[in-house]
Amino acid sequence: MSSPALEIKDLHAGYGDAKILRGVTLSLPPRSLVALVGANGAGKTTLLRTISGLLKKSGGAIALGGETIDGLPPHRVVEAGFVQSPEGKQLFHGMSILENLMVGAHTERARARRKETLEEVFELFPILAERQHKPASALSGGQQQMVAVGRALMALPRVLALDEPSLGLAPIMVDRLFEAISKIRERDLAILVIEQNVFQVLEMADYGYVLENGKVSMQGSGQELLANDHLRETYLGL
Amino acid sequence: MDFFILSFAVTNGLLLGGIYGGVALGLSLIFGVLRVVNFAHGSFLMLSLYISFWLWSIFGLDPYLSALINIPAMFMLGFAVQALIISPLIKRESALVVEPLSALLLTAGIFLVLDNAALMAFGPDVRAVQTSYYMPSLMLGGIPVNSQRLIGAVAAVIVAAALSWWLRTSHLGRSIRATAQNRDAAAMSGINVPFVYAVTFGIGCGILGLFGALMSTFIPISPSIGLSFGIKSFIVVVLGGLGSIPGCIIGGIVIGVFEAVASQFVTATSAAIGSLALFVLILIFRPAGIMGRA
Ligand SMILES: Nc1ncnc2c1ncn2[C@@H]1O[C@H](COP(=O)(O)OP(=O)(O)O)[C@@H](O)[C@H]1O
Ligand SMILES: [Mg+2]
Repeated sequence: MSSPALEIKDLHAGYGDAKILRGVTLSLPPRSLVALVGANGAGKTTLLRTISGLLKKSGGAIALGGETIDGLPPHRVVEAGFVQSPEGKQLFHGMSILENLMVGAHTERARARRKETLEEVFELFPILAERQHKPASALSGGQQQMVAVGRALMALPRVLALDEPSLGLAPIMVDRLFEAISKIRERDLAILVIEQNVFQVLEMADYGYVLENGKVSMQGSGQELLANDHLRETYLGL
Repeated sequence: MDFFILSFAVTNGLLLGGIYGGVALGLSLIFGVLRVVNFAHGSFLMLSLYISFWLWSIFGLDPYLSALINIPAMFMLGFAVQALIISPLIKRESALVVEPLSALLLTAGIFLVLDNAALMAFGPDVRAVQTSYYMPSLMLGGIPVNSQRLIGAVAAVIVAAALSWWLRTSHLGRSIRATAQNRDAAAMSGINVPFVYAVTFGIGCGILGLFGALMSTFIPISPSIGLSFGIKSFIVVVLGGLGSIPGCIIGGIVIGVFEAVASQFVTATSAAIGSLALFVLILIFRPAGIMGRA
């Protein structure tokens, strides 16, 4: 049996005295799409920042493909294969789309394949190819989100995390984004998606986790979670 | 006012201003990328002037040739100062809030240490470097032009252009710009941010290595020479637009020409005070500086 693409055990982290994550345990099998949902402020973004090495954990363990990434600085985490498209896109606004994507291909492994990967990203989001020389700040919110996802793909992730990719997008753009995510699934990687569109993401996910107060409160296959009364009440308002 | 004297003053101001701009480049780059105001900037220039002076006085090395040693030496010094002294502070702050004040205090401490160490090691004497050859003034349109200063000003323009070009086109240059624009996003793209910071600091100081060598041919060198250049660099950088490389050269020229012309009418001290007034005036109308984006 191969080891999980991403495995988090009893993770604790926070900001100064504020303990945000209090023992998160979750696992992504290879080539799976896993959803992480939870109310605002539950700690989802904090979890990704901790995996990325931007935030020091105070306890627990993180492993990628069976190898620990504990204590690695952020750029080494990317080298190890975990790449996220951060909440709020965080583009380089003074740069063109193409440059934003190129920055994504920073590691040696990614640089060696960056021409091919760029073509794949342009195939996924043709509009980016058309506007590649436009400054990132001149794009619509949806297109900026495509750049953010594309930039993460440029790093050739083994585990790709998307932090609220549909945040602030028009419904039609949300649909397109989810389409793109299902296409990304065909690649050899595992995907962790954080979403407010709980219904849509659980529909497509292999497995889902619900984060509440810094802990996983529920987990199960997408269908199981969608059938759960507590979840339907809290997150779907049904 | 005699037209000849005025054109002479303007020419001199242009040259001196270009050199101010060149000296300020490193300060601007470091601020643009690290958001740290390096209060010790002038002290690094002072050190670099001494490097060229001692290489000349002990080994008889030509001051222009000494740039070949001065630039890498200053680069390594800047790299080490960032990696060993400033970086731990930034690391501590990254988890909490970024406080520019503590970085400023730290670099002010470096300034005090460097200036006093230079005073202890080299004494208060004012030194001067003499080239083994005579460098005559050039006549440009009937105006005599000091060739040492001309070399300095031309070098400033070349370095500014080369630096902008390199930042735009090279892999490392792009990483530096990405880090300047969004430190966390750069890190999440695989960029080694502490390394980029150290390289940037090194480049900022390496440029001073060049100007220390060029300026040693016409500047009286003493342990306290740094502060006035540090303050002038700060004015130039704010005036030109924080972090803007062309703004740096333009800001330098504005200050240089103003000082040179004003000192034809009033004493040099009043001219320097006048340039501060000009500085405030320009910022009232363009708060982000001449080339800055508000
Ligand atoms: N930089 C920070 N400093 C202090 N507290 C923070 C910081 N960022 C987030 N928090 C707090 O951590 C908690 C979890 O935030 P976050 O991880 O962004 O939640 P989510 O992504 O699930 O909405 C919130 O209570 C938030 O206020
Ligand atoms: Mg969040």
